[in-house]
Amino acid sequence: MKKYVLLVSVLFLALGLGSVHAANDTVVIGLQGPITGAWAYEGQMAKQSCEIAADLINKKGGILGGKKIVLKVEDDAGEPKSGALAAQKLVAQKDVVAVVSTYGSSVCEPASNVYEKFKKVNIGYGVTAVRLTQRDFKYFFRTCGRDDSQGKFFADFVPKKFNAKRIAIMHDNTAFGKGLAEDTRAALEPMIKNKQAEIVYYDAITPGERDFRVSLTKLREAKPEVWYFTGYYAEAALLVSQARDIGITCPFVGGNAAINDEFVKIAGLNVAKGCYMTNEPLPGDLPYPEAKEFLDAYKARFGEIPSSPWPIYAADALNIIAYAVDKSGSTDSTVLAEYLRDKVDGAPGITGPIGFTKQGDREGVPFYLYVVDDQGDIVVSR
Amino acid sequence: MEQASFPGIAKIFSSPPLRITLITALFLIYPFLVSDYFIDIAFYFGIYALLGLSLNIVLGEVGLFDLGHAGFYAIGAYTTAILNTKFGVPILVLLPLSALAAALFAYVVFSPVIHLQGDYLLIVTLGMGEIVRLALINNPFGLTGGPNGVFGIDFPSLGAFLVVDSSLEYYFLIWLIVGLTILGLTRLQDSRIGRAWNYIREDETAANASGIDSRSYKLLAFVLGAALAGVAGNVYASKLMCVSPESFTFWESCLIFCIVLIGGMGSIPGVLIGAAFISLFPEIFRPFAMYRMLIFGSAMILMMMFRPGGVWPRKRGAVQYESLLGDTGRADV
Repeated sequence: MKKYVLLVSVLFLALGLGSVHAANDTVVIGLQGPITGAWAYEGQMAKQSCEIAADLINKKGGILGGKKIVLKVEDDAGEPKSGALAAQKLVAQKDVVAVVSTYGSSVCEPASNVYEKFKKVNIGYGVTAVRLTQRDFKYFFRTCGRDDSQGKFFADFVPKKFNAKRIAIMHDNTAFGKGLAEDTRAALEPMIKNKQAEIVYYDAITPGERDFRVSLTKLREAKPEVWYFTGYYAEAALLVSQARDIGITCPFVGGNAAINDEFVKIAGLNVAKGCYMTNEPLPGDLPYPEAKEFLDAYKARFGEIPSSPWPIYAADALNIIAYAVDKSGSTDSTVLAEYLRDKVDGAPGITGPIGFTKQGDREGVPFYLYVVDDQGDIVVSR
Repeated sequence: MEQASFPGIAKIFSSPPLRITLITALFLIYPFLVSDYFIDIAFYFGIYALLGLSLNIVLGEVGLFDLGHAGFYAIGAYTTAILNTKFGVPILVLLPLSALAAALFAYVVFSPVIHLQGDYLLIVTLGMGEIVRLALINNPFGLTGGPNGVFGIDFPSLGAFLVVDSSLEYYFLIWLIVGLTILGLTRLQDSRIGRAWNYIREDETAANASGIDSRSYKLLAFVLGAALAGVAGNVYASKLMCVSPESFTFWESCLIFCIVLIGGMGSIPGVLIGAAFISLFPEIFRPFAMYRMLIFGSAMILMMMFRPGGVWPRKRGAVQYESLLGDTGRADV
């Protein structure tokens, strides 16, 4: 009997610990992320990033005339079911003003349903599935891009940079590669109508093959001025070296999975240097003063800057919530949601100015063009 | 000690019909006392109870190792998701269809391998579960949506007047299903099929020698277990409104396996306790975030050390000797 009494009291103690009440001079912002589970690494970094962001704001005097930001973390284990439960847990706490939520698209989906139902602003930081903002939700936003932002970036930036009209797009028939190729083609559509660009080649290669010369010969005959490959690095490396062999000299641009250190190793420095890729900016490459301040603080506490692009979007989600609460002077969800949707435009953020579209997507998502330099390092192409 | 000091209460709890009424009443009142968060926890408790009950048929009753049960669960969930989003079939119509799809899959896959014993069968089921998950990730015929899964699944509804869309209604839906399942399985335990299953578990050779077609009985257990898991998948998919492969990992199969082991093989109350443990424990220890899985793991190890037979093991000999005596009241020894 004693055993059970002990067990029960331990359980109640555990429940009690979870519900520490916040004082009146604070603003509580929730963070739902994969603190445990397969993506624990991402979740931990997001938590650390949000802590740093909150500290920076608090040090500058807080928001709403001196109120401090308190972070309330719920673990969703990177799993849809836990995500929905974590969301329930956060909406049940009346003092949570808004939530930074979450890393994976499939975890975000059920969680954002809960937030929407209970009218709580939730801002995704690693959720790139296009569909999430096509549900006409009032309270869902995201600070990161969408799966099709990369294609749009290519269309906006690359033809101009290389002064290229004749564009070749090559994919590898995987869900990711094909998706990116299709998005890119769709994004180029207006330019094609205006005769500013022309897709001279659009085809797939078979991943895992070693010899791509048949496809490449066809590519050569199309005479492209820039060549976009949306697949993975193993094929990309072989493609580039074989293309240079048969005399294709136009610039090579890879998607964000095409170029990494392994690419440089397989292709060899001679071939690899001068190859481009479209990619989300890595934290260290961000030029904004907010980014420098944030990364310095992060490095001072944790020894190194976040190794993945996503945690800084979590910090920015927290920043924009704090900004909206401060500027609108309200902690009411409906007011906040309207403010974020209509009034926020160019608010300062670590990843650049923040603004949202009517659907809740980030406006002007930052993507960068990276290039392999003479030492084989992958750096931002300025 | 406690029983002596509270004879009245002890008596009430020892009377089965009263006990069942009390527990049912508790389940009916519970959601009106707590917030949506706790209702949702009870809902997932229900899902795990159903999954536990479904595996209990295979693992508990017949003693066949199955570490791929999440595969059937996934097939139920994806059948619901795909048919609902692509063809607009109502969720409640898909409830039996999901069960059927999972059952059919179990029949086709296990027909050729049902003769395998013990750990060999375990490996097959393990592989089956992984194959299902990987197939879902690889997006066959563009149906399963790859790693992102399928989204936009409807609520279950009966016409326009009864739409299950709140936590409360989902709670009652799942526990209604669990209740009916328990009713059916209790009846099954005492039936010819149930006893044949137990016979096979205890001694398959002897069972065969007594004229039990162990092959079909084992297959029946798999098919029935898969069907129930399919039902769980259906409710789960409509509750979350989306399905994705990470809900059906090997870890999920392990959890379902643990439910049966913790509760006690073949014991229905045991499965409910096991499901409660699996679904409530991580939530109770949520404040400890990083350490909760550590606590969970150690609790499980302690459990296996001190109660290896499960919390509520099934009593051997379901048919009592006395009850066979008939009206005479004494055995003819």
